[in-house]
Amino acid sequence: MAADPRLAHARQQQQKLTATPPPPPPPISAQPDSTKMGLDSTNDERPQSDIVAKDGFKLKFCTVCASNQNRSMEAHLRLALSSLPVISFGTGTLVRLPGPSIHQPNVYSFNSTTYRAIHAELSSQNAALYNQNGLLPMLARNLNIKSYPERFQDWIPGKPRLDHSTDKGAPGTESGVVDVIITCEERCFDAVLDDLLNKGGKLNRPVHVFNVDIRDNHEEALVGGRAILDLALRLNECAAQEREIHGSEGWEGAGRSRAGFDERVPDILGEWQERWPNLPAMWTLAWF
Amino acid sequence: MNSGLSIASETLSQLESARALALSDAAYYNQIVPGVLPIIGAGSNAIIELRRWGADFLAETFASPTLGLEDKQKLSLLVLETLRENLETVNDLGVVKSVVQAAASIYPLVFRHTILNPNDAQNWQIMAAIKSNILRRMDSAPPGVRICCIKFVQRVIQVETPGLIADPRRPEQNEISLALVPRDHPLIPPPNLEAEASGLLDRLLSILHEDTSDALLITATLNSLGTLIRARPAIANKILSAIFNFNPLKLANSPMTSRSKVMMKSIERTTRALLMNILKRNPESPATPRIQQYLERIHRMRLDVFDESNRKRSAPVEPTDGLDQSKRQRLGANVPADAISGPQVPSGPVSVAQLFTLTEEEGAKNFDVQAIPVEIVVKIIVPLLMTVDKTKMDSAINIIRSRYLALSKAQPPTTLDAAVAATRQQAIDEDEEYEPDFEPTEDAEQIVNKLDNAPPEGLLPERVPDAPLAPFKLPQAPPLSEQEIEDYGGGTVRRVFGVMSALDDPTSRAKAPKPGFNRLAASNYDRDAWVILISRLATRAATGLGDPMEKVDSEYKTLGRRGTFSVGNTIRDALYMYIMQDWRKRIDVATSWLSEEWYNDRIQLEAARAEAEDTNSDSNDLPTPTLHYHKWVLKLLDAILPYLESNDKIMIRFLSEIPDVDGDILQRVKRIAEDPERVGLTVNILHYLILFRPPVRDLCIDALEDLWRNYDGTKTATSKLLKKWRPEVLEQHQETPNGSFEEVKVQ
Repeated sequence: MAADPRLAHARQQQQKLTATPPPPPPPISAQPDSTKMGLDSTNDERPQSDIVAKDGFKLKFCTVCASNQNRSMEAHLRLALSSLPVISFGTGTLVRLPGPSIHQPNVYSFNSTTYRAIHAELSSQNAALYNQNGLLPMLARNLNIKSYPERFQDWIPGKPRLDHSTDKGAPGTESGVVDVIITCEERCFDAVLDDLLNKGGKLNRPVHVFNVDIRDNHEEALVGGRAILDLALRLNECAAQEREIHGSEGWEGAGRSRAGFDERVPDILGEWQERWPNLPAMWTLAWF
Repeated sequence: MNSGLSIASETLSQLESARALALSDAAYYNQIVPGVLPIIGAGSNAIIELRRWGADFLAETFASPTLGLEDKQKLSLLVLETLRENLETVNDLGVVKSVVQAAASIYPLVFRHTILNPNDAQNWQIMAAIKSNILRRMDSAPPGVRICCIKFVQRVIQVETPGLIADPRRPEQNEISLALVPRDHPLIPPPNLEAEASGLLDRLLSILHEDTSDALLITATLNSLGTLIRARPAIANKILSAIFNFNPLKLANSPMTSRSKVMMKSIERTTRALLMNILKRNPESPATPRIQQYLERIHRMRLDVFDESNRKRSAPVEPTDGLDQSKRQRLGANVPADAISGPQVPSGPVSVAQLFTLTEEEGAKNFDVQAIPVEIVVKIIVPLLMTVDKTKMDSAINIIRSRYLALSKAQPPTTLDAAVAATRQQAIDEDEEYEPDFEPTEDAEQIVNKLDNAPPEGLLPERVPDAPLAPFKLPQAPPLSEQEIEDYGGGTVRRVFGVMSALDDPTSRAKAPKPGFNRLAASNYDRDAWVILISRLATRAATGLGDPMEKVDSEYKTLGRRGTFSVGNTIRDALYMYIMQDWRKRIDVATSWLSEEWYNDRIQLEAARAEAEDTNSDSNDLPTPTLHYHKWVLKLLDAILPYLESNDKIMIRFLSEIPDVDGDILQRVKRIAEDPERVGLTVNILHYLILFRPPVRDLCIDALEDLWRNYDGTKTATSKLLKKWRPEVLEQHQETPNGSFEEVKVQ
């Protein structure tokens, strides 16, 4: 049976409520239900447990795109709203935003220019234009998430991030490391791998790096954000299960559900890819 | 149970606040780590939550970039026992994972401590116990732990392989590696460690080659190898070879599920990222070509495995925003690529035009392209090719290709081939055994099979028989044609002059101290040296080679010139051209060249005279060497004179510096005076020569007199000089009753 593990919580609740076992819940088909398909051709039925239990185990996430503005921030917000610990970065050399024409992009430096400053500058430049193309709403969203775009290559993993405590999704990321990095473009995936290799894996800490290919526009960022949240929830659930199994049977258990988190990642990703066929994914286990 | 949990959670929150303190300032680790050890550590019998917290905390502590190396090293000895106990007694994935991570961070620290304290056997033994425990787990533990073991092994290899000593005077700055261990260390003898590291490396690399399809282990291994390749050049080659033998697309043989596709792509990408990182860091490395070759190979393999449709992301099934006109997918705009079909080629003989015609339209078919001038064709062809749709172009090419193949099979395409075919047919008739089959009768596959079975060609026989080898003579190259000789010779000369233009930079002629007379020509590599080299090449190199024939030529001019190419003259021509390109600046080149010519002419004459004396023959009968100086001086003068301006000092200098001035040259100088504006120039030149070149003084005064007599408008200027040098001319003239018009005017 291809049970949707996202619904595990719901099933457990159901079982607790009814003392006598009712007829088993109908198996959830792996095929997308065409009556419930969203515009992105994926099943829009959300798992009920979008928000992770407060005191439960949580993986720490990091979302990465080119400029730390659109895709990574959309995903950052999504994960933060589901109370997952999350930080976000860009891999570009500079923050690039569309300008009045394709040849005049607005360029800002990472780690210093705040979203608020960019918002102020653009709205004084041409509020109508930047409202119309969605830049100002995007920046308004971003400045409520954290204060400034950060560059991945300048990040020192393991350096405490206590100064980011007011960012959305900050609780849990104080130690400055994450368990999962999700990039939004192959270019960024390559940049992240390259940078991690350059940093030399001095922390000896494994990190799962995913790439979810998302086109850089507002609509696709929304779709991608949902897909990333879906992936994150699945991963988190699986990692939490690993913490539940302990004691001697944790080692010898043969069943798939007994397997640890790391080795199930390929399965989770494969399953996820079937659900999101339009967002080609990649993954690797890298080192901090 | 409940109360126990609540106590534990209370403890946990206390521990969390301690950790927060340490995060805010790394200095607190020194107090907090010893403080928490009794709670989480050996013999505390703590519940699993506390154990996990403790293991995570230790891993975090020793990974922290904010805590200094010395502090970590001190703390590492304190936690060793806790780590070992956790590793040996706790059966929890989370705990073991974190302990192995912590052990990987601690290993170099304890190693360094042991180097400095060769008598502290106890701590090293605990570390060794931890190491062997982890190594035991490497093959059997759950994958989540195994990846941490892989990283641990990588750290051990890195520590136990000699690294680079950055600065031997400051040992605390050096990276921890085998290179720091004294050869006679009692606890960690370097040879043993090196052997262990080598064995561990083999084990690590074997993960890539085991028939495991576990992407987790493979990517974890690949991503940990980068540091080793970079930091340990001694083993970099071994690792690279293992990677080159690794096939990231091994999974392609298994059924292609969505999972296996993603995994295959991921492994391939990880391999590529690792190699690209190495390339980027050290693009000059000797391994670079092999890395590039490998990358190209897996790229091709990937193209094979994932066909085009899989690699490109397909368009969304429905437009993401159906109302937005600009976002809607444009349907029907794509003309199918195979729309081109063109008329069928008629059977029977076909013209080239018919073969290439793809249009049905009569007007286009009958258009004669030759009507368009070539220049226009050249202009439009490139932009045209750039705008052509690639798929259309490809399909058009394919149509033509298939037509051509069909035609070439159907019939001999030309009459010549038909004739050949006919004679071949005849030959068959005449000789039964003749086999006209040029095409192999087996198909390609059979041949390949046969070749596979054949013994490998590269194998040499056991012993090469020592039969004497016949001397090998390189066959003589066919003689060059006149044209070729001229082309190649000219090319060589051009190259010689190319050097000159490279040297022509005026800044390269810095104000070096003049070497004076006591110097060697062409001894320093500058333009002057090169000029001397070239002029000597022209004047002396080929001397005597072509002379006898030249003499014959000069006697029988009507025979036409045989062997028009002469190295000397080609170089002279080139030198002449070179000077004339910018004669004002290059007049010194001309001077030094002409000096060489003059000197060479003298030597030739000398040699000829000596020969004449040797043979005692009549000097008239002897071949006179061809002299060049005179000819080239005149040629240069003729070329330069038209450009001279009325106040040019260059000609004065030139004529004063060239080695020989004669009547012909002065004739040229006089001709300058035909231009009334340049009379002064002529007079100045002559005046200078009269003053400073005594040998030609008379000649010059003659020239002056001639000017005075025969050139109108020069009287005023020349009379002053004549008054001084040859007053008798003026006197004679005054005696004549009818003075010239000019004279009258002057008075």
